[in-house]
Amino acid sequence: MPQIITEQNLRNLIDLLVKEAKLVVGPKLSGSVVLYEPLTAGSDLTLDALPRRSSKELFFPICEDILSYKRENGAMKVNDVDRSKFPETVLIGAPPCDAGSPAILDAVMSWDYKDEFYLERRRKSTIVGIACTKGDDACFCRAVGLAPDAEAGSDLFLTPLKDGSYACKAVTEKGQALVAAHKNLFAEGAGAEPVAFVDQAVEKLDLVKIKKWLEDHFEDPLWEKIADICVGCGACAFICPACHCFDINDEGSTDDGVRRKHWDACGFAKFTNHASGHNPRDVQNKRYRNRIMHKFKYYDDKFGKTLCTGCGRCIRACPVGIDIAEILETINTKHD
Amino acid sequence: MCKSDNIYLPNLATIEAIVDETPDVRTLRLVFQDEQVRENFSFRAGQFAEYSSFGFGESTFCIASAPTRKGYIECCFRSVGRVTESLRRLEVGDTVGVRGPYGNSFPIEEFYGKSLVFIAGGIALPPLRTVIWNCLDLRDKFKDITIVYGARSEADLVYKHELKEWQERGDVRLVKCVDPGGAGPDFDGKVGFVPTVLEEAAPSAENTIALVCGPPIMIKFTLPVLERLGFTDDNIYTTLENRMKCGVGKCGRCNVGNVYVCKDGPVFTARQVKAMSQEF
Ligand SMILES: Cc1cc2nc3c(=O)[nH]c(=O)nc-3n(C[C@H](O)[C@H](O)[C@H](O)COP(=O)(O)OP(=O)(O)OC[C@H]3O[C@@H](n4cnc5c(N)ncnc54)[C@H](O)[C@@H]3O)c2cc1C
Ligand code: SF4
Ligand code: SF4
Ligand code: FES
Repeated sequence: MPQIITEQNLRNLIDLLVKEAKLVVGPKLSGSVVLYEPLTAGSDLTLDALPRRSSKELFFPICEDILSYKRENGAMKVNDVDRSKFPETVLIGAPPCDAGSPAILDAVMSWDYKDEFYLERRRKSTIVGIACTKGDDACFCRAVGLAPDAEAGSDLFLTPLKDGSYACKAVTEKGQALVAAHKNLFAEGAGAEPVAFVDQAVEKLDLVKIKKWLEDHFEDPLWEKIADICVGCGACAFICPACHCFDINDEGSTDDGVRRKHWDACGFAKFTNHASGHNPRDVQNKRYRNRIMHKFKYYDDKFGKTLCTGCGRCIRACPVGIDIAEILETINTKHD
Repeated sequence: MCKSDNIYLPNLATIEAIVDETPDVRTLRLVFQDEQVRENFSFRAGQFAEYSSFGFGESTFCIASAPTRKGYIECCFRSVGRVTESLRRLEVGDTVGVRGPYGNSFPIEEFYGKSLVFIAGGIALPPLRTVIWNCLDLRDKFKDITIVYGARSEADLVYKHELKEWQERGDVRLVKCVDPGGAGPDFDGKVGFVPTVLEEAAPSAENTIALVCGPPIMIKFTLPVLERLGFTDDNIYTTLENRMKCGVGKCGRCNVGNVYVCKDGPVFTARQVKAMSQEF
């Protein structure tokens, strides 16, 4: 039986989850922009804009401690981080381009060696996705296989209805459990008609064809043409729900401190610089090429997934106007 | 500490001995502090580890000692930056972190019954030294062993005492060389670049494996020489040493195309290298 929840009950759900001592994160007006932030009450939730930054940092923080070290009586001691203290988390109100990203990142974080920092946060999280009605010109989720109403990555999926309530679909057991634990907030029934989703201008891209072109055109004048202007600021990577490069550094003295994992970007000039001075990706267009290749070829080769959700954030953020969707469309029209 | 599922957690090791190989290259002999780790730690020649200097971070070096020598490991590094310089300030008795071993290795068992030619340049001897000692410790299993090793100058040759040992033991042919202008008056090796010296030394390619490690430019000029000598791409092994951080296929730093050098490498045959996108 389909279920619905009114907007008021959705906010009541947040209030209840906060009372249950869960970390509830959702879009919230922060100054003049909407960001994913901890919600202290249901009234904090705002659903009228795509958050400026992605929700990736809930699972993969900008910077996190991976160990601490301390010299005690002359002997060095290394201490693990207590991951059991990571909070039970509910991400609420993430559109498909954000809700979908952990489903992509799980692959790299869990192949062979397991990154328990990411995976423990994933285990402890429930994602309440919401169908998107606020896309703009930069959005192209349809082009990369998602859609404004795609459930991929969501545990519970909400579809806005014309009467202001939401149709609910429990996609996973976690979603079912969330509904079961708060049954009285949900009503059975089909509800009103869904609100119309954004009609994205972007055509569906042929990702198989794009990948094939990338395979055959590692060297191509296109790279200089589109990417020489990239200034390597890394904004596109930091704002992206799928980018996951990181660095590891210590903070503290030689006697007492923490080791941290923190975001990095393949667009940075020194990312691959060898200590000898040799740099395999020595000019910016090679670094940008790696960005495209990683997202639309390498990640697919390795894990069978595209490393982009079409959120369009990198397009909105790029200071020099590099438009990844436009580049993909260009490649999509090439036939050789 | 060892029971954790935190893949970034290093084991602690004590610096037991230090050898200064050249003015900026140093070898550390490391002994794990935890008895169980000391007993259980095993690796294969060609694998690397992440070494940490607390307060500075981690650096990637190959394990330079031989897997056949138990109880300790050695690394040999050049001071070039933040972490390596801080490692260099440490003294005997100090603690470093070690996580690993990571990556693939040289398939030494497949080399049994064959001749071996080692070709190394500069600071790239350590990744081959582990194989050299591994094979010398199993000397009966191999036919001829040739080592061609060169550096910019006499002062830049690492493991000088071991070069002497290899020269004197009689069952190894050592050809050592320095670049033109790099030899002192008493230098007893050859003057010339590694690829040229290798071509002159002309080791037979018959039933022989070549193992090459060095700066990209040396490898680039060495491969055609090996080809002229009759080596096929399947009989030439090398290591790719892209900049690494996590060492375990997460941080996204070390890729050459869809190959994660830290997981799929660092050891590759010339055939595998040639099949990769030219980005190393
Ligand atoms: C598989 C593998 C095996 C390896 N084996 C060995 C080995 O056996 N021996 C060995 O010596 N090396 C080896 N290397 C290379 C070694 O990892 C690097 O030399 C080392 O990590 C450099 O670390 P660092 O922190 O000292 O240098 P970094 O501080 O990272 O410096 C690297 C470069 O950046 C510059 N730099 C330093 N600080 C800064 C700064 N703050 N801002 C901007 N630029 C800066 C430096 O001048 C230097 O040119 C290996 C690498 C790999 C991947
Ligand atoms: S590459 Fe750009 S459009 Fe794709 S997920 Fe990342 S930020 Fe969004
Ligand atoms: S945001 Fe634009 S300029 Fe900055 S690194 Fe990305 S593509 Fe280059
Ligand atoms: S070193 Fe991190 S992915 Fe290879």
